[in-house]
Amino acid sequence: MDILKTKQGIHKSRGGLIRSFVSLENGKIKEITISGDFFLFPEDAVFKILDNLKGTPASREEIHKNIEETYEQENIQSPGTSPSDFTESIMKALEA
Amino acid sequence: MEEWRFIDFGLVDIRDMMAMDEAILKGDGGNTFFFWTPKKSIILGYFQKAEVELNLAQCRDYTITRRISGGGIAFSDDRCRQINYGVVGTIDNELFPLDIIDSYKQICGILIDTLVHYGLNAAFRPINDVVVESRKISGNAQTRWEGKLLQNGTLLLDFDIEEMLRISNIPKEKFMDKKIASIREGLTWLDRELGEQRDMEEVKEIMKQKFKERFRVRLKPGMLSEKEKELTEALLPKYYSPEWIYR
Repeated sequence: MDILKTKQGIHKSRGGLIRSFVSLENGKIKEITISGDFFLFPEDAVFKILDNLKGTPASREEIHKNIEETYEQENIQSPGTSPSDFTESIMKALEA
Repeated sequence: MEEWRFIDFGLVDIRDMMAMDEAILKGDGGNTFFFWTPKKSIILGYFQKAEVELNLAQCRDYTITRRISGGGIAFSDDRCRQINYGVVGTIDNELFPLDIIDSYKQICGILIDTLVHYGLNAAFRPINDVVVESRKISGNAQTRWEGKLLQNGTLLLDFDIEEMLRISNIPKEKFMDKKIASIREGLTWLDRELGEQRDMEEVKEIMKQKFKERFRVRLKPGMLSEKEKELTEALLPKYYSPEWIYR
């Protein structure tokens, strides 16, 4: 994905800034990447979040549910940032 | 009284420093408090993409790398008036609470005690900042590995805000909820707060003193163990590689 040519969604959580870049195919997430100054433990679980989102229908509910599931599976902690914050950033990218 | 290892790495290339940083976390040297001052450089947080967060055309003279902890870019201009510290400790006692924000607050206490020593009104601002009169003077980043924590942070003695704005792409959203009009009002540094330059070695001594008082430990000067040196050698290629930095 050429992220500099992709519209970005920006959302600020209490824990930091989340910038999302998303492309769609048939109403589902095709490619997604995130950049930001938030904190998330374990750090490499962010790639699980992104991988699991691929193929997810581009609705707030589905995206939120998908991220929450990865949080549980990977035992993610992210002080000041929640699955809702990631969802909000992604929705802003989709609406941009 | 418990004894901790203390190391002052002095003025360093951040790629070498980040390799040593990770090696101390994953090595066998035990609880450690260390200092370094970065040469002209930019360290990206784990989740930051270089082409999004940086104005790369303006960054050609900078050494860039990425660290293993989250948070925002750590920028050092060629004045090199920053004290960076690292704490590696086991999370199994009252020194380092399991709760992430509590443990930030505990370690950031060293910086607050140091600033209070200089008569400044310093406070912890969750998640990870130390502020003087609500202006950020220190950013901190923590990661955890196998029951240990690594916290890195910086105390700004001097800072070139205009240069930082040139090299980075900070969107206005970053400041909207901090009751400040822009980054220019949101940052400060020790020289400005005190109206004079303090000797960096003097400030480090105060920080060491405050560390010993806060954690009730002795600090014993030391160096990297053989295992940590081997780990560092093994980690160096990562911190120099475009795959890690520009991923």
